[in-house]
Amino acid sequence: MESEEVKEQLQAIERGAAAPYINYPTTPLWYAPAIGAWAAAMVETFAWYPESVGKFAGSIAALVALELLFIVWMKRRHGALPMPGRGKPPAEIARVWRGYWIGLTVVAVVVAVLWLTVGIPVAAIATFVLVTAGMALYENRYAVAAAKTKARLQ
Amino acid sequence: MIDGFDPVIHAPKRLAAMAVLANAPTVSFRFLKDHLELSESDLSKQMSTLETAGYVSSAKDGHGRGTSTTYRMTRAGQKAYESHCAALRALIGPT
Repeated sequence: MESEEVKEQLQAIERGAAAPYINYPTTPLWYAPAIGAWAAAMVETFAWYPESVGKFAGSIAALVALELLFIVWMKRRHGALPMPGRGKPPAEIARVWRGYWIGLTVVAVVVAVLWLTVGIPVAAIATFVLVTAGMALYENRYAVAAAKTKARLQ
Repeated sequence: MIDGFDPVIHAPKRLAAMAVLANAPTVSFRFLKDHLELSESDLSKQMSTLETAGYVSSAKDGHGRGTSTTYRMTRAGQKAYESHCAALRALIGPT
């Protein structure tokens, strides 16, 4: 096989592998606040524990079910939704993903500190603000990284 | 024949489809059609070849006009794809 042909095949592999990460529908405006509200509701639910374990467990189950429905909707809408642990994202996207996990850890620590020092209602409000802002920032950076990857692979 | 080289995956359209499938748990027919810029009949033919080889499985969702097909790479497909990629990289040598 000619080396040019091999190079073309490897480029086709790279373009195909990147496609699920860089070809995606526009993120709706409600996405970041919705994720923020969901995370805040998750924190607020703990206010019912241990006084009403049934109410607490029911709320957690409802929120988890809502999240699962959301993922199903996202998968259908996207068509090839990438998931951590499956495949290898392009370098530009991998950098954004690393930032996401770091950001998530920072938000979790801040929320935990507020929870322990000020209480659950304040921690829930902080969760909404931090998660909404964090998701909006993440979406923005992801779009820039996806555009850079597209330009590199053209 | 080069070790690991797979003639089923070697075809450019099928290679590109396998590359997409290796990076998402499930991939819709529509996504593959848009990404590979193929006609529905051509894509169906390529995916059918991959399914016959045991590299891809498909599932239909919904009924009637709303039916959508999704594909998933099988373990055998994953192994064959990785071996094929490694064989190609070995051909080009260290960069």
